[in-house]
Amino acid sequence: MTPIDSISPQTSMRLRRIALILLIAGLHLSVPALLGAESRERFASAYLWGYAFLWSVTLGSLFFLGLHHLTHARWSVVIRRVMEMLAAPATGMLAALFIPVVLMLLLHGHFSLFPWADAAHVAEDPILAGKRPYLNSPFFLARAALYLAVWAGFTRHFLRQSFRQDAGDDAVGAVLRMRRMGAPFMMAFAVTVSFAAIDWLMSLNPHWFSTIFGVYVFSGMALSGLAALTLAVIALRNSGRLPEGCVTTDHLYNLGALLFGFSAFWAYIAFSQYMLIWYANMPEETFYIHDRLQGGWLGVSVALALARFVIPFFLLLPRRAKRHARTLVVVSVIVLAGQWLDLFWLIMPERHAAGPVIGWQELGPPLALAGALLLSLSRFLARRPCLAVGDPLLEESMRFRL
Amino acid sequence: MSELRHKQVGVAGLYDDPSALVRAAVEVRRAGYTRWDCHTPYPVHGLDTAMGIPESPVGGIGLLAGFAGLGTAIGLTGWLSAWHYPIHIGGKPLFSWQAFVPIYFELFVLFAGLTVMGLVFALGRLGRWHSPLHDSGIMPEVTCDRFAIVLEASDPNYSEDAARALLAQTGCRDIRPLIEYEEEDDAFL
Repeated sequence: MTPIDSISPQTSMRLRRIALILLIAGLHLSVPALLGAESRERFASAYLWGYAFLWSVTLGSLFFLGLHHLTHARWSVVIRRVMEMLAAPATGMLAALFIPVVLMLLLHGHFSLFPWADAAHVAEDPILAGKRPYLNSPFFLARAALYLAVWAGFTRHFLRQSFRQDAGDDAVGAVLRMRRMGAPFMMAFAVTVSFAAIDWLMSLNPHWFSTIFGVYVFSGMALSGLAALTLAVIALRNSGRLPEGCVTTDHLYNLGALLFGFSAFWAYIAFSQYMLIWYANMPEETFYIHDRLQGGWLGVSVALALARFVIPFFLLLPRRAKRHARTLVVVSVIVLAGQWLDLFWLIMPERHAAGPVIGWQELGPPLALAGALLLSLSRFLARRPCLAVGDPLLEESMRFRL
Repeated sequence: MSELRHKQVGVAGLYDDPSALVRAAVEVRRAGYTRWDCHTPYPVHGLDTAMGIPESPVGGIGLLAGFAGLGTAIGLTGWLSAWHYPIHIGGKPLFSWQAFVPIYFELFVLFAGLTVMGLVFALGRLGRWHSPLHDSGIMPEVTCDRFAIVLEASDPNYSEDAARALLAQTGCRDIRPLIEYEEEDDAFL
């Protein structure tokens, strides 16, 4: 067993190489997409798709980090640094990568991403004209800036205190300062994520509204954060960066149980949204679902239910599965694929009504953004140990048994 | 007054802290005992593994019962709403699975839940009127602040001296015989 004190930051050349390949491939596909008029519009939707995925993983991890502090959890101290690593893009990268969305909004004529950004279109549409006090570019950008600032502020606070512990600087005080921000974070998170979901995803179809939409997006976000966390923990453990005996099967069981629970939560929220719309049968609500059950989209909707709920639920049902690292890896990969699919299902039907379209024009931004995310993780690993070595509760967390 | 017959049915070792109990449970399992049990005031983490208790069949059977409930719900809603007493509601198809999903869910949970409860009683042999542990006087202690290992005399490996020696070897300082009292048949006469 490696002594805890000797854990130091380690560069992962493999992760860096994968990240760079994805980034370069993504950029390579994005540049030609930006040149053609039709492919430029497809690029816009695809960028939002990739960005929303990055956002889901980052804020999903930030949610669990905040939950850890809010509940004064002890079992998860061993994986706290991994949550911090996955949440770290929220300190700056998430905001920087939002700039293309801002540009696509301001250059609406070239990208036509948000229909409400088209003044001529809004003028002849009484519903959109009525929504103008909320759905207008300056207010949209101000809100986005606020959300990004709130997330960056809390993430910076959690990370700064955590890094102070590494240096052995007032470790107990740092725990208390992180815990103190747990509850304010959770309240701010709930509001900002709901509004961001409405702004960035629901307003792609500005006629439609669903009051549960924020929770729906959050449920996918929590799942993606968990799946990324589980994958990262298992990868770090297998590569020996997290020393033997740190993350036990009991910790894995907890991650598996949370993944299991949140898959059921997603199904509950998704079905609640669908059933209420189906039951009330009001045309101003049903068309959104109707669009997604037509043509090729029906298959995507069915695949979504399978990938997000049925498969993860039954794979994780046995107790043994939640303790088995390889099963957890498989489920996490399915869950992350499910998040890609879910965001595709939310964004793309607004562009391609007839059925799902996926070509090189769609692949550039997701690949580049996935590469950017991995690059950020590899930079984090090169600078920080992947275990919260200074946390006074670390030893207790390592002894955690179910 | 009736005379009380009694016989020794085992040995109990009492411990003051749960980790001593878990360590002792490992020793007892290694010594090859099969008829023994632990008694604690609350669930002790890691005790099942230490005792080598195999995975319970309750979950699997509960799942099957849940599917039986799901089948019942599909049959029930379909038969009632689409065949036996068809009523058009809100212009929706007679068999509207969307509206029945809550019933599918509820009957799944109901069947699984009741089955699990019944199995827990049956497999845990709950609902016995009497156990020698009630006479032993250790129950007030293990439901308060102490932790006990009970080795039963019915174990093929059992001998009183070996059992006491094993418990003593695990660091137990409080070893007591388990006595079962049997009243005469004519106790009330």
